[in-house]
Amino acid sequence: MLRDITLGQYYPIDSPIHRLDPRAKILLTVGFIVAVFLVGSLPGYIPIVLFLVLVVRLSRLPVNMMLRSLKPLRILLVFTFVLNMFFGTGERELFRLGFIVVKEDGLMNAVRFSARLIFLVVGSSVLTLTTAPVTLTDGLERLASPLKRIGFPAHEMAMMMTIALRFIPTLTEEADKIMKAQSARGADFSTGNLKARAKAMIPLLVPLFVSAFRRAGDLAMAMEARCYHGGEGRTRLHVLRYRRGDAVAFGAMALLIAVVVLQGRLQ
Amino acid sequence: MPITVENLTHTYQQGSPFQATAIRDISLTIRDGEALALIGHTGSGKSTLAQHLNALLTPTSGRVLLDGRDINNREVSKRAVRFEVGLVFQYPEHQLFEETVARDIGFGPRNMGLSEAEVDARVRAAMDMVGLSYETMKDKSPFELSGGQMRRVALAGVLAMRPRILVLDEPTAGLDPRARDYLLGDIARLHSDGTTVVMISHSMDDVARLATRVAVLEQGRLVMEGAPNDVFMQVDRLGAMGLDVPAASRLVHGLRARGIDLPDCCLLDELADLLEKLLKGGTGHAS
Repeated sequence: MLRDITLGQYYPIDSPIHRLDPRAKILLTVGFIVAVFLVGSLPGYIPIVLFLVLVVRLSRLPVNMMLRSLKPLRILLVFTFVLNMFFGTGERELFRLGFIVVKEDGLMNAVRFSARLIFLVVGSSVLTLTTAPVTLTDGLERLASPLKRIGFPAHEMAMMMTIALRFIPTLTEEADKIMKAQSARGADFSTGNLKARAKAMIPLLVPLFVSAFRRAGDLAMAMEARCYHGGEGRTRLHVLRYRRGDAVAFGAMALLIAVVVLQGRLQ
Repeated sequence: MPITVENLTHTYQQGSPFQATAIRDISLTIRDGEALALIGHTGSGKSTLAQHLNALLTPTSGRVLLDGRDINNREVSKRAVRFEVGLVFQYPEHQLFEETVARDIGFGPRNMGLSEAEVDARVRAAMDMVGLSYETMKDKSPFELSGGQMRRVALAGVLAMRPRILVLDEPTAGLDPRARDYLLGDIARLHSDGTTVVMISHSMDDVARLATRVAVLEQGRLVMEGAPNDVFMQVDRLGAMGLDVPAASRLVHGLRARGIDLPDCCLLDELADLLEKLLKGGTGHAS
């Protein structure tokens, strides 16, 4: 049942992209998003596509895995496309069907905005598919640590995220077990109207909350027993270090942004 | 109504990099009125097998037949199957959710669509079966009870559906010795009243006490099956799988190794009688 849901969609294989420093990957993702937004015309997407294809090939991720990340987006995509297509403001009409008018710039915008959406989602899912959630929060903590000086609780935020991520599979498993146990007593989670279904969640949610609080208490106790007292003066077992691969990746990203900017200038 | 398991295989998360086959090609018949114990190492597939018996899991391949009908067939109501085959999960007290003990136990019967009067009668009977007093306990919150009491409330919650087959996944795990004795007594009583019992357990002494037949799983395969005496006397083979045997079987095994002739035995009381006869008789075979 619930086991089939992949929360935190990390895909555990080894590849040059998987091996990159998480900080580098976060910054590169931001860079990629910037590059996508800098593109002003349809041909401008060519370097973006080439870059994405290269990265996906390097990451050895199965292509259907990438496409799956687009699935929740399909309604938004259709919406974006249709809305842009019908609400062009330009001069040239392409065709007219009764009161529906499709203008040239409308169609161009529809393609552009849909493409932008797809690239953004695929690009950022490379980050989450190739980086283990805990490594990701590690990277975030290190990136945010300069903000500690102005009072931003970087360590605490990262610790909370790590714990939350750590407990997603545990609680999913727990929820799965409770759901099965209640189904064994004839509970029905999947039929009936909205009200009946909401009511059917009570036998699932009450035990789940009870167990979450119990686990939280246990975890707090176990952390205290091992002298956890916040991030002050804490050292790490795995210290993040930038390597040659990261430098190459940053170089490639700089090149991509440069190409996109130049292309924009030339037109 | 026997349950027949035919060539059952189950793979979790098939097609993902996390896919894992929990049970492989298991065939097994659970006969009416028997008490079958499933034993095996952690991860050997016992719980996965148990969850197929009431259609909570759907086989990757193979079939599960109840009364000769495939329970995963579209035309068979899975809910109806679950009312016939009651499954008590490991740590069932973690599934309690209602405000009162009586309402929690009544959850199953209410899902069956019974009248309130019938639900109430069943709650009473179920509480009686597990030795909880209806009058003093019915209005208590399940969350203020002791661990042993919570477990019995959860067991009653399944019994109140009056299943003809009761499947228990490690019913005594984490209980203190007294609560464990009570619970085993409850299960033994249910079995002698005609309920078919399937029990998963790591406690071989519990199995020796209750089971009429033992099935051993190893890495998802059914590797041994037979009467407790037969299975438990294979001390070395079970030991190689990392499994224990009841204290009595170990003693018989040890005594045989020293040349004392004893029949198969896995219950301490029985063994005590055998040894008594042997010692009084001085020589010879005790049976």
